[in-house]
Amino acid sequence: MEVDEETPSNAAAQPKAGEEKAAGKLHVLGIGGRRAKRGSAKATGTKKTPGEIRIQKDIADLDGGSVAEITFPNPNNLTSFKVKVQPDSGFWKGASYHFTFSIPALYPHDPPKVLCETKIYHPNINLQGNVCLNILREDWKPVLDINAVIYGLIYLFYEPNPEDPLNHEAAELYRDNISQFERTVKRTLAGCVMHGETFQRLI
Amino acid sequence: MHLSFSASIDVSSRRWHGVAVWKWDVNEDVCGICRLAFDACCPDCTVPGDNCSPVWGQCNHTFHMHCVLKHLQFATQQNRPQQCPLCRQEWQFREAQPATAEEDD
Repeated sequence: MEVDEETPSNAAAQPKAGEEKAAGKLHVLGIGGRRAKRGSAKATGTKKTPGEIRIQKDIADLDGGSVAEITFPNPNNLTSFKVKVQPDSGFWKGASYHFTFSIPALYPHDPPKVLCETKIYHPNINLQGNVCLNILREDWKPVLDINAVIYGLIYLFYEPNPEDPLNHEAAELYRDNISQFERTVKRTLAGCVMHGETFQRLI
Repeated sequence: MHLSFSASIDVSSRRWHGVAVWKWDVNEDVCGICRLAFDACCPDCTVPGDNCSPVWGQCNHTFHMHCVLKHLQFATQQNRPQQCPLCRQEWQFREAQPATAEEDD
């Protein structure tokens, strides 16, 4: 019965003495435990926005497999990162493409912004690096996550969609003469200048 | 040999704590929009409870009320139809159903 008497006084002295013990008690009470954690996060000045909390969860679930590799240039900023996609089949097999992701403030209500940093000859990616992928635009919904976008990008390499092109010339060639398209891609992968655009050697 | 124990302890309680647990009656653990637990609250709130409740659509999908309201608000702002963030059916709030758990008075 003495324990019972001791606990409340301990809780009163919580900020100074025996923080661990106090936290233990709060944890037993459930809600309080959570609030205590939140309070300490505030004290260290790391109040996160809803978008940042969500992106943290997305990052914990990241799973690009062997095809995609995710890196954070600034580990303190989770809203900007790079994804390297190395297709293991299809026209672009063997080359590496670097995408930058930036997460808008209203994420996940707004989709992430994706730019392809490596010049590519692709029906759905233009020479400026803009990517045409339905889930990055009209078909985005907040239950999707970064993994879904990365899978979408990988899929573009396996199965380009000439019906919704950004590089119209590439889309036309893909539709009309797929073997010529394949040769053109091969040429760009080896590095070349085409219509005044320089493609770096990637393979 | 026979051992027998008989003890009487005189106990009187001087103080007691009632402890109760509650949880929302939802099928999923986390809200699909913010990925936080329904039994916690949406990222804009600090205290779980009636002020940050889950809501259901006619499609039976569940989200934090605040998350889905934000979603619908952005859809309106961007001239998009009000759809369930999961199945894209037209979003209609489902009426709350009477609690299924046995209530004790």
